[in-house]
Parts: sequence; structure tokens; C-alpha cells
Amino acid sequence: MSFVLPVAHALVARKDLPIPAWLFAWGASIVLIVSFFALSAAWRKPKFEQERWHPVGARLSRALLSVPVQILCGAVGVLLLGFSIYAALHGTEAPDRNFALTFVFVTAWLGLPLFSVIIGDVFRPFNPWRAIGRAIGGGFSAIAGQRPAHLTYPERLGRWPAAIGLLAVVWLEVVYGSSGGVAVGLSPDSLGLAALLYSLYTLAMMAFFGVEKWCQTGEIFSVYFGMFSQLGSFGTKDGRLGRRLPLSAATHWATVPGSAAVVIASIASTSFDGAQEGAFKGGIKQVFEWLSEAGLSLTTSLRVTDTIFMALCFVGVGLVYLIGVRGMATVRGAPPLRKLRTGFAHTLIPIAFAYLVAHYFSLFVFQEQAQFTYLLSDPLGTATTDLFGTASSGIDFKLLSANAIWYVQVGALVIGHVVGLTLAHDRATAYWPDYRQAARSQYWMLAVMVAFTCFGLYLLSVANA
Amino acid sequence: MALLVPAAHVGHWLWVLYLPPILIVVGSIARASFLERRRKRDD
Repeated sequence: MSFVLPVAHALVARKDLPIPAWLFAWGASIVLIVSFFALSAAWRKPKFEQERWHPVGARLSRALLSVPVQILCGAVGVLLLGFSIYAALHGTEAPDRNFALTFVFVTAWLGLPLFSVIIGDVFRPFNPWRAIGRAIGGGFSAIAGQRPAHLTYPERLGRWPAAIGLLAVVWLEVVYGSSGGVAVGLSPDSLGLAALLYSLYTLAMMAFFGVEKWCQTGEIFSVYFGMFSQLGSFGTKDGRLGRRLPLSAATHWATVPGSAAVVIASIASTSFDGAQEGAFKGGIKQVFEWLSEAGLSLTTSLRVTDTIFMALCFVGVGLVYLIGVRGMATVRGAPPLRKLRTGFAHTLIPIAFAYLVAHYFSLFVFQEQAQFTYLLSDPLGTATTDLFGTASSGIDFKLLSANAIWYVQVGALVIGHVVGLTLAHDRATAYWPDYRQAARSQYWMLAVMVAFTCFGLYLLSVANA
Repeated sequence: MALLVPAAHVGHWLWVLYLPPILIVVGSIARASFLERRRKRDD
């Protein structure tokens, strides 16, 4: 005799895993707790506060940062942006057959964080808006004989424009473009129009505040990809390429106001995207019904509902972080709350990266097959061109098994949170001279990390069920 | 013979199983804080 458990709405863990999905959350929590005790016992002095910068050979540095190379990279970036806008406006209306959608939201949006961690801030030289801004600034200087004057950027704003912009980009993709059935549901027309408007806005801001200043604070993509590059070994300093201790650059990244909001927005938007079709499905359905019964149209109801849940995700992730910070402030010898709030924000960057890998790893692997086969051969999706002879290729969905995806997701989340915990412990040893107090302060960050891990695994287990 | 267990909506409650690790850590922190406060008061 066997028991059959008829679970409704497919809200079940995978049947073919050796243990239930929730036990992975317990296992991951044990890994974090063990890591916490190991750090408390053996890590008594800060190691990441100094970058230990090693510049690479002067000739290699000069060659890679030379003006011709910068012009070439900038031109490639402008060309790709221009082509994406063209494909979006003149290509097929089918999102999954149009080059622009996959290129912007998968290849660039998901691929560049990965490359930024591995090889440094690769987006910076290819940033099309920076290239255009610099070209215009250079032209102005040549004609007027002086450098363009700029307004003083309000330092209190910090990276808040980028944080809000980051939420707006994800909102455009997963709320406004939510149509189901395809990887990215936004209509190509909307993407083209949004890209044009964003280009105008960015160039105007660059004219007001200066190209580099805006890229450091307000340009969404520069700030977002730049944030992930802080985790890696490679970077530039004083006009020279070099390598540093991995993770060390991150310790100084969050000193600019609004940086915590950027990384929280990243975690929240990924969480919302993961929970939309899974953990939040019931709640979204409920609110959607209330709004549509109140007289809103179906599309508006859905968008308003999704916007509310996305905002709740942002508030929720922010609250969990702030609870951790508040807890730390109760430990004897704690610096002011404000310092703690900015001082530990960088510890969330590995978590944001882990969430990205965990939620989008399989999408990236599958969609990149499309990007480099039929979307490259027939970028407008007209079915009349076959530039590289791959227009009839398809996506091999058997490339990754469901279990392989799950193990990558679990691995990414565990590693990301252990790295976050390590960064937090390292910062604590810098703030509390007594390492025992430093370790005590990290009880709270341990709770934050365990909460994020369990929440992340729950979202994935429900989304993958 | 298969016996059908009438637990169709049990899946809605699976999230409860993700809570114990968080509760254990938060509970341990609360207990440690409480004991320390009491020790300080006794001193």
C-alpha cells in the first residue's frame, strides 16, 4: 500500500531530489552558523580594509587604456545600443524573436554582472551614453576652447537616482512587460521607446552634472554593473589597471549615500521576479481581484498589484537589513547607527549577486543559445534573413537538468551568504577594537543572512516546483 | 492499493518548514541578549 499526497496548485518541492527542498534551507543555515563560529574564532583583525593594490605592467595598462582603444570600445557600445533600438522599433513584435529584448534584458542585464565580477568594470569602456557624452564634451572643448561647465551635484542625492532607476528598469521588464509564456514579455516597441527616453535623460543629466559624476551616481547601468565589479580582483586606479585583494574594493563602495538602496533594490527586484509566479501568486491574485472589482481595468489592476508587491519586496528587504543594523547598534562600543547603516551595506553585494545567479542562471544559459544562434542570424525576427546560417536553430532545454539548476541555485545562495557574512565580520573587526564584541555584533548579521538564505531557497523551491 | 491522503492544500503551508532555522538563530540571539542584560543587572 502506498500513500499519495495530492498537493494542490503544484506547490510542492521537486520529487526527484534526494531530500526535500526545505531541508536544503536547514543545511544552508547550518553552513552559515558554522562559518559564523569559524570566523568568530579565527578572524580577529580586518583583512579587506586595505586593497593591497598591484598595478599591472605600465605598457599593458597604457595600451588597454589608450585613447584609440577607448574610442573603439565606446563606438562598439554606441553601435550595439543603436542597433538594439533599431531592432526594437523596426523588428518583429514577437519579444522572443526580436534581438533587442534578449540582448538588453538577458545578455547585458544578466551577463554583465557576471563579467564585472570576473574581469572588472567591463561596462565602463563600452557604456554608450558615457561615450556619447565624452564625445560631445570633447567637441565642445575643441570649439569653445574651454571645458564645459557643470552644476554641482547634490551630494545628499548620492546613488538614489540609480536605485530608483534600477527598480524602474526591473518594473519595465517584469511588471509593465509581464505577459507570460516568453522569457521577456515586454513589447519591443516599448523597449525601443524606453531606451530612447533613457538616452535623452542620461545625456541631459551628463550635460548638467558631468559625464563621470553622473556615471558614478545616477546612471543606472554604470552604478549597477560597477557595484558587482567591486567584488572582483581587477580595476583601475589613477589611470592604471591593476589587481587587488578580491572583495576589498567593496568595503569602500557604500560610503556614497543611496548605495544601500541600490543593493537592496537589486535583491528586492530579483526576489519579486522570483516570487511573482510562485510564493506571491496567491497574494497577487487576491489584490488583483480587489482592484479589478473596484473598477480598474484588468491590465491596470495587474500592473498596480505587481507594483505594490515589488515595493513591498523593497521595503521588506530593507527592513530585514535595518533590523540587523539596529541589533548591531545595541552591542557595546558600537559606532553611530548612521555609520553602521552605510558601513555594512556592501555586505549585501555578494547576496545580490547570489540571488541573480540563483534566479537567472538557467534563463541565461537557455536564452544565450537563442542570442547566439537565431537571434544573431535573424535579429529583426522577420524570417527573411539568415546572416550566419543559424536562423533555424532552437534552444536545447535538455542542456541543464532540473536538479543541476537546483544545485547551482543552492550553491550560489550558500556561497553568496557566506561571503556576505565574511565581509560583515571583517567590517565588524574594523569597527569594534575588541574582537569578542565584534563577533557579538555579528549575531545580528547572521540572523539577516539566515533569513535571506531561507527566503531565497523558499522562493526558488516554489518557483521550481 | 494507493491510499489518497486528503491534504490537497498542504503545499500552501510548506513555507513554515523554512522558518525554524531563522527562529533558532533569532531565539538564540534574544536569549544571549537577555542573559547578558541579567548578568549586568546582577553585577
